[in-house]
Amino acid sequence: MPAEVKENIFSTQIIEMRNDLELDAIIEDYLLGKLNAEETDAFEQLRRNDATVDHKVVSHKLFLDNMEEYSRQLLLKEQLNDIHAEIDVDSLVTKFAPHPSRVVQLWRKHKSAIAVAASFIVLSFVSIYSIQHSSQQADKFVQLSKNVTNAVKTQNNLIRKISSDNLPANKQINPGNFGGTGFAVSTNGYIATNLHVIKDADSVYIQNSEGESFKVKVILKDPEYDIAILKIDDKHFKNLSALPYTIKKNSTGVGENVYTWGYPKDDAVLGEGYVSSKSGFIGDTTQYQVAIPLNPGNSGGPLLDNNGNLVGIISGKETSSEGASFAIKSKYILEAMRAIPQDSLGKKLTVNKKSILAGMRRAKQIEKLQDYVFMIKVYN
Amino acid sequence: MNNGLKSSVPTDREVILGILNNSADTLNKLYKAHFAMVLQFILNNNGDEDDAKDVYQEAIIILYNKVKEGNFELSSKLKTYLYSVCRRIWLKKLSQNSKKTGNITDYEDVFEVEEDVEQHEEKDAAFTKMQTALEHLGEPCKTIIQDFYIHNLSMQDICEKFGYTNTDNAKTQKYKCLQRLKKIFFQHK
Repeated sequence: MPAEVKENIFSTQIIEMRNDLELDAIIEDYLLGKLNAEETDAFEQLRRNDATVDHKVVSHKLFLDNMEEYSRQLLLKEQLNDIHAEIDVDSLVTKFAPHPSRVVQLWRKHKSAIAVAASFIVLSFVSIYSIQHSSQQADKFVQLSKNVTNAVKTQNNLIRKISSDNLPANKQINPGNFGGTGFAVSTNGYIATNLHVIKDADSVYIQNSEGESFKVKVILKDPEYDIAILKIDDKHFKNLSALPYTIKKNSTGVGENVYTWGYPKDDAVLGEGYVSSKSGFIGDTTQYQVAIPLNPGNSGGPLLDNNGNLVGIISGKETSSEGASFAIKSKYILEAMRAIPQDSLGKKLTVNKKSILAGMRRAKQIEKLQDYVFMIKVYN
Repeated sequence: MNNGLKSSVPTDREVILGILNNSADTLNKLYKAHFAMVLQFILNNNGDEDDAKDVYQEAIIILYNKVKEGNFELSSKLKTYLYSVCRRIWLKKLSQNSKKTGNITDYEDVFEVEEDVEQHEEKDAAFTKMQTALEHLGEPCKTIIQDFYIHNLSMQDICEKFGYTNTDNAKTQKYKCLQRLKKIFFQHK
């Protein structure tokens, strides 16, 4: 049982060291002042004569100091969190928030009144839009994969249709009718993608960079921002190690270099470009316009900046001009993550705070990133 | 509780004495007294209420540790000190996230606190290191170690909680866990 038997020349009656564990126990008692005078003397003599023991004492002291400091800070943090919970932050936010979110607050308070007014505005927008549209050359989105028409805007969402188009869609038996991209938002198997990728799906599978497929279930659909959160539901799935990227809370500036990693074909493809506008299709402020050439299959892919901050989800592109693609802003991913019902979570979804991608070369970043980006295969 | 904030702002002297005497009440009052100021600053400079909470708590911890170490000289108002620290931390975070930091909207006077913030960063790194080591340790070791070193449970309590047959077994287990934790802790740079 004892790993290593120490012959101890100074082993008085008191100290009898049979193995490392006991030595550790004695060192700790010594440092915490739990030995009596006699034992302390004996131990100090041992320490003077055996450099290994002395070294262990020093390192254990350092460790205990660190532990003590850790414990102190932890308790202080807990105390502060308790105090913080007593503050009515929301009302303070309302009071101090800068202009834009005051508008949001107003909206929340006077929803119904504004809704009536808004419907008039929408009506006029629709008429303006139709005038523009009929006049000619309006910006147009076409959805490649499915014939879904949305009331005002039709989007060219970047879903890839894997099977041939001649067959009627609903009669197909061959697997994987549509493809898209998704990426991990937690280590325990939560995946974010576009809602339009998995909409109307009977079953959804994802495939990682090594070609392994996992079954996933849809946890959350957010039609407002076109976001869906999936959860890997497969006993073969092992938790991922810590996410290499962080999800950015704030918005990113125009001109910021960004890139995406997605599955427009069976192998992943890198697309690089920059944020070209703070608003998306027809001024949609929930999206960025990005100058990255994209292909069907890129939908749902992560959009990252050079520092490894996840800034958005690729969602679609404009048909009339090349290189104008759109990505949903990352803060809506965070909102979607927060909206997941707690009981379906088991453990709380937490957002990673440090990105390990910062400062790496692009090739290295991709190497780290590839295990967290998945091909999404939809069967219907 | 919002109304009670203003009326119960403790004086700077009270705060320092309170911290030195581990008064939970003083900490509570101090925290509530200045949070609104920092929240306003962060909200108006590209942040949200969660950022404000993180930054403010860091600043309170810096002040707290500095007072505890006994080298806090009250050369300015505590409020100004807290504000300056928060401002410094937030500017750093903004530049880390590659945000522009050109025109910061200020609400208070500011003075130099770089040294304090840097010192805190070192401390915080040590904290994170221990936290990561504990995460890597896994169960039941993590809980045993936390119960013993942080929540100060006795070996007897731990023995009962984890269902060990006797305290010696629990002790052996604790030292095995400790050995592994130390190994992880000292390996990580």
